[in-house]
Amino acid sequence: MSMTIASSVDEVLAAMAAGAQPIAGGTDLVVGARAGKAPLPEVLVAVDRVPELATVEVGDTSTRIGSGVTHAQLMEDVAVVHRFTAIADAAALVGSPATRNVGTLGGNVMNGSPAMDTGAPLVVLGAEAELTTTNGSRRVSMNELWVGPGRTSAAADEFCTALVIPNPPAASGSAYVRLEYRRAMEIAVVGAAAAVTLDGDSIASVRVALTAVAPTILEVAGLDALVGTSYHEPEMELVATAAGEQATPISDLRASDAYRRHTIGVMARRAVEAAVRRAQGEQISVPVNRALGIGAAS
Amino acid sequence: MTVTEVTAEELPPFVRADGPDKVTGSGRYTADLTLTGMLHAAFRYADVSHARITKLDVSAAREMPGVLAVITDADVPDVHYTPVIADRTLFARDVVRFEGEILAAVAATTPEIARAAAAAIVFEFEPLPVVSDLEAAMADSAPLVHENWDGYEISGDTIRDRNVATFSALTKGDAAAAMASADVVVSSRYVADASHAAPIEPRAIVAQWEGNKVTIWTSTQVPYDARDGVCETLQLPSNQVRIIVPHLGGGFGGKCGFHFEAHIAALAKAAKRPVKLVFSRYEEFMAPDRRREGMIVDITTGVTTDGTIVAREAWLAIDNGAYMADAAFFPQLAAMHVAGPYKIPALQIDANLVYTNHQPSGSVRAPTAPQGCWAVESHTDELAAAVGMTPVDFRRKNLVATGDEGPVGQTYDEIGLLECLELAVTSAGDESALGENEALGVAVGWWPSFAVPAGAYAKMQGDGSVQVITGAQECGTGAVMTLRQIAADELGIEPTSVELVYQDTAAAPQGPGATGSQTLLNHGRAVERAAREIAQQLKELAADRLEAAPADIVLSGGVAAVTGTPAVSIPLSELAAEAAGGDLLLGSASAPVPEYPTLQGSQCVGDQGVASWLAPQFSCHVAKVRIDPDTGVARVLEVHAAHDNGTIINPIGAHGQVEGGILMGIGQALTEGTQYGEDGKQRNAAMLEYKLQTIADAPAITTQFVEIFTPDAGPRGSKGLAEAPNVATAAAVSNAIAKVAGQRVRQLPMTAERVWTAMQSSSDEGGAA
Repeated sequence: MSMTIASSVDEVLAAMAAGAQPIAGGTDLVVGARAGKAPLPEVLVAVDRVPELATVEVGDTSTRIGSGVTHAQLMEDVAVVHRFTAIADAAALVGSPATRNVGTLGGNVMNGSPAMDTGAPLVVLGAEAELTTTNGSRRVSMNELWVGPGRTSAAADEFCTALVIPNPPAASGSAYVRLEYRRAMEIAVVGAAAAVTLDGDSIASVRVALTAVAPTILEVAGLDALVGTSYHEPEMELVATAAGEQATPISDLRASDAYRRHTIGVMARRAVEAAVRRAQGEQISVPVNRALGIGAAS
Repeated sequence: MTVTEVTAEELPPFVRADGPDKVTGSGRYTADLTLTGMLHAAFRYADVSHARITKLDVSAAREMPGVLAVITDADVPDVHYTPVIADRTLFARDVVRFEGEILAAVAATTPEIARAAAAAIVFEFEPLPVVSDLEAAMADSAPLVHENWDGYEISGDTIRDRNVATFSALTKGDAAAAMASADVVVSSRYVADASHAAPIEPRAIVAQWEGNKVTIWTSTQVPYDARDGVCETLQLPSNQVRIIVPHLGGGFGGKCGFHFEAHIAALAKAAKRPVKLVFSRYEEFMAPDRRREGMIVDITTGVTTDGTIVAREAWLAIDNGAYMADAAFFPQLAAMHVAGPYKIPALQIDANLVYTNHQPSGSVRAPTAPQGCWAVESHTDELAAAVGMTPVDFRRKNLVATGDEGPVGQTYDEIGLLECLELAVTSAGDESALGENEALGVAVGWWPSFAVPAGAYAKMQGDGSVQVITGAQECGTGAVMTLRQIAADELGIEPTSVELVYQDTAAAPQGPGATGSQTLLNHGRAVERAAREIAQQLKELAADRLEAAPADIVLSGGVAAVTGTPAVSIPLSELAAEAAGGDLLLGSASAPVPEYPTLQGSQCVGDQGVASWLAPQFSCHVAKVRIDPDTGVARVLEVHAAHDNGTIINPIGAHGQVEGGILMGIGQALTEGTQYGEDGKQRNAAMLEYKLQTIADAPAITTQFVEIFTPDAGPRGSKGLAEAPNVATAAAVSNAIAKVAGQRVRQLPMTAERVWTAMQSSSDEGGAA
């Protein structure tokens, strides 16, 4: 086995062109190997010491989050917290401080788990993954990227260099809410992200995506009826019903399919509610799970 | 009686001598040890719950490069072991009865080779019907887990029948007749899933032979039990087996008993090299014969309209798993918890310990208590509701107090249970101040004091420092550090001047180790006496020098002084230096076991499960719980605890024990439960799926101690405190959940999904509010 420590993106790409697989924080790869899930790849390139991957750059129309940005950075980065709050909500719920300090956004995205926390926020915020090889870059939407549990459409030599997210218009807000049985070291049983833009008191646009209820992150369709409403009880019910109907959850150790189908509706409803309130200018601290409801600190 | 309430800031500083090493990483745990030429061990497990072995071929494994030994049942003495019912061999023979049964052990130059060789062992089997369901296991038609149990050696009067390993009954008065006289009769069923000790350090063992003697470094809570197990199974005399315990990364009962020390010793002998075993987290869940037993409790209680309990009948089934670990007395223990600390004139409790094809059950922190207390205290709230009383008033009326008679005919000396109830309830405050979807749940519990023999040596050295040599074992609680304080107090010196030499069977006299809340109770009595012997020698030396009578000498502040004349004194270090040149200052003691009370009403192995209530420990916990009604997720916001554990000697340690016990209790209440497949195998033997509580989940905890000097128990009127805090929390949480949910959750753990499911049911079963 060999491992190269890259100090630039070019070095990463060269190593991958030669067959290496990238490793960032190792929170999926190493933990999985030690658990006997899959052996470590024979040839690795470490990408955690590439400074250009660890930046958040706010442009005129979009923001580029380097794939090496850690969850700990995401939950505190001013640009992320203010513009893409759902990502900060999600990053703050991942694992433990140790996991968040080494685990990266790029790693989370390319691992492709349907239970990943940052996935649903990226979908509702319209993010694209920037995939790069020695021959150049292309961008794919998140739905194009994830093709199944743990599977992406990226070629073997394509490296995720960044996630690029359009800057939201004024009066926008987003949130990620997760069902959790305990308050640390938890994995999503179900989770939901929402991104909302308001026009005055009513909803101008809304997107909702769901965690851990389908083979990949699932965007909820048919929410057009919400546009023009001010999100009160009937609309909340519509979101919950749509989420529950479109989810295709499984029964496993963590929950039955019936319980998942019910709670995904609850999470979706709460995510939209928190996103609306943020869009209205209310300061709801990150993560929503600790600011509101059962998980709240007080 | 005094009530102690101190905040963390007010607690006296107390030095944990093992603390700095553990915190800085300089301390050594068993897995950190490396010996010259050391090999690595791997076990081959059956990985099937019930089967007849048709082929076990280790030849390919033996031939693999780097493999130095592969051993099976054929390579060790023909011994059936375990206490009470000798139903087990070190390695599988003919039939395997749970997934973690060991077929073979491999020693190789690396852990990877050892695991590969273990996997290369050919194992063929004929499946046998799996006994997994507890009630089905008791049916006449159920397949037997042990077909040939007639041939097992049994110690004591064990009542057994088919898959029932032991049976015990608590009988007091005529329960059936008394029940018929009741105004209101309430029947309930409660079912508890199995759970785990889950210590943070997976166990590790290193064994090395020198000639015919073997030294075993092992992560055990009970060095002497481990040694005796090795001696029994490998047919060795006591003085050829030495057990040393490096730092231990937690136990919670899971590292009690005798586990894998003999396997590794036998492997080291066969390989002619030192051998090391380090468990994976999966193995730590799956293989040890220690898990918290699943349990079914059917309970019926009759009360009069004024809320007086007149009779109780109960039937219990306790999952023993495939082999007898130390659960033989669990029926007695569980029956005592289902009786509860109540005045009940007529009782009939039948308790069965049942063989299944699961991992064996054994003493995990307060065995049978969290589940038994959860069942009976949930039932108690149902009783209160049935007669229109508040849960607190119903308990005030029925709890045992000083001078009352308990379930087995024992009359209690001064006890503080009612005081605990009042203190905890008052601390929790008014229910009218609660927020939406919040409630307070009240529960009381009790726990015995197991008095057994223990010894200690003590010596004061030439510079006045003291060594105490004890068979006590540090398992994370810090209780052994209280032994320093006891010795220091006897000698009038600072605890920091006392060093403990412990965790080595070659050095220390016999003792129970860190099990059954016994460190202070039993080892403490021995240390107190051993230190007292040195104190007496010091007093005689000082009397000589100060021209006073020994009885008039007081040891305090590092000096010996004449009573009433503190100016006339001599430093202890001076006396110690003098003694070093003549009669050495040595103490040794074996603490006599307190007398058990006369008892009635149990039939089972011995009477440890009931007799040990000689110095019962009482507690009341009040939990403030909030429920998310949309998801059923419950959060414990506050726990108010009040405990009668006798005299509190080490307050900061006592608070730590209560807080840890409560957090563990919340885990049992809400998230910790083993899930079994149809095949009898554990489905969630991993930290991700077996959900311990984290510190982020910890509630605010207030702890008060009702201090009653308890004669004939631990030193200075103390009792134990390791397990008592783990008894009542789950029950208190249950009673709070029922108030918010409007429904009882009748299965433990009360997971979010179970709470939510209960809330979907439309009919109120009563007793919720």
